[in-house]
Amino acid sequence: MNMTEPMFLALTALVDEPRHGYGIVQEADRLSGGRVHLKIGTLYGVLDRLAGAGLIELDHEEAHQGRLRRYYRLTDEGARVLEEEAARMAATARTATARLRARSSARLARGTT
Amino acid sequence: MTPLERRYRAVLRLLPAAYRAEREEEMVDTFMEAAGGGLRRPGWGEIASVLALSARVRLGGPGAPPRHLAWGAAVRLVALLGLAYQTAYAAFGLAGLPYLLSYEGDAGLLGTAGSADRLGAIADYGFPCCSAVAFVAVMHGRPRTAKAAAVLGALPALAGATAMAPSLRDLVALVFTAVPVIALLLAFPGDAAPPRRGRWLTVVPLVAGLIGYGLSTAAAAAGGVRLSPWSEPLGMAVVALVAAAPFVAARGRSPGPALALAAAGALLLIVRLPAVIGLPLEQASAGVTAMFLAQCALLVPLVVVFAWRGWRSLPPARP
Repeated sequence: MNMTEPMFLALTALVDEPRHGYGIVQEADRLSGGRVHLKIGTLYGVLDRLAGAGLIELDHEEAHQGRLRRYYRLTDEGARVLEEEAARMAATARTATARLRARSSARLARGTT
Repeated sequence: MTPLERRYRAVLRLLPAAYRAEREEEMVDTFMEAAGGGLRRPGWGEIASVLALSARVRLGGPGAPPRHLAWGAAVRLVALLGLAYQTAYAAFGLAGLPYLLSYEGDAGLLGTAGSADRLGAIADYGFPCCSAVAFVAVMHGRPRTAKAAAVLGALPALAGATAMAPSLRDLVALVFTAVPVIALLLAFPGDAAPPRRGRWLTVVPLVAGLIGYGLSTAAAAAGGVRLSPWSEPLGMAVVALVAAAPFVAARGRSPGPALALAAAGALLLIVRLPAVIGLPLEQASAGVTAMFLAQCALLVPLVVVFAWRGWRSLPPARP
């Protein structure tokens, strides 16, 4: 499965507690520092995809101001996939940081000789 | 119901009824909460996201009813077939490049360096290569790259059709190029996985294009016209489609491939149209006329039969 950024953010948003649709949008906004603002159509495409892959499931429903509000939670499989993806991204980031450090120290060395 | 809610529910009518029955209330609740106070109507971004969701659902999103899955398979196949053709076309063109480059006599074949002709020649080779990149990208599970490259590859056709006085040929070329690209945009969402069977299939159009060029050269050497209706890429595509027909028929009750084959055949028919219509006007030889008509004669029954078979074997819509 191709993990897109909205999918990653939605999964991360559900790690600590079950949330409803707008709760996920808000949390994704916060996690991305205001950069990713999910549209509702996009959100439900993501939720369908994640639920279809068994990574999230319905937690409970409640009536709110006469409308339906559904809360979603992360499954164990979802936590596992998220962990793998986060580890992959962390490893890539570490490689980049290490190379950049090597580059800047090489420059420093050249500068002093 | 506030006007905003009414307008949002109207936008949600883009979604299929079964999906709305499940999701509408929840989506309205989420939207109204997200909208806060000051919004009068749903923004264009929101409408676009619902359109994208609608395409995703109608073309076989997760948990979709079998009919949607079948349509999704058909549309995805049309996208792949169209891009595969452009890839073969690119390979066919590139295969001829060494010969053109080695042809010292007439600089006019590829234009002198810096001339408009040269730019045109680069475009002729470059844009189909973009479509080839799109094909490789979609086969390797990179839908975003594929979409960008496919749109780029379709630009010449778009430019030709939106020019001052587009000919029938320009319009038909646009349809032929644009339909698979539109299919790609609709049926391959950003998180689409690569097609299950065979990254190795990626090389098939490239090889087919090279073989096609070889055959066309051999035909020319044997005294025939180099680009007769059969030995040009479109003619070879007709042959390939007709050859594939028995295999698709043997798959029985599979609506996706049958519908895709019918659509591909229809596109090839459409692109042959200017040639057939123009035949009395151009003094084409009887032989060339016969070849064009033969191709149409092969395509028409193929399109009709497979469209009918595909339609009949579509799973029923959910009541």
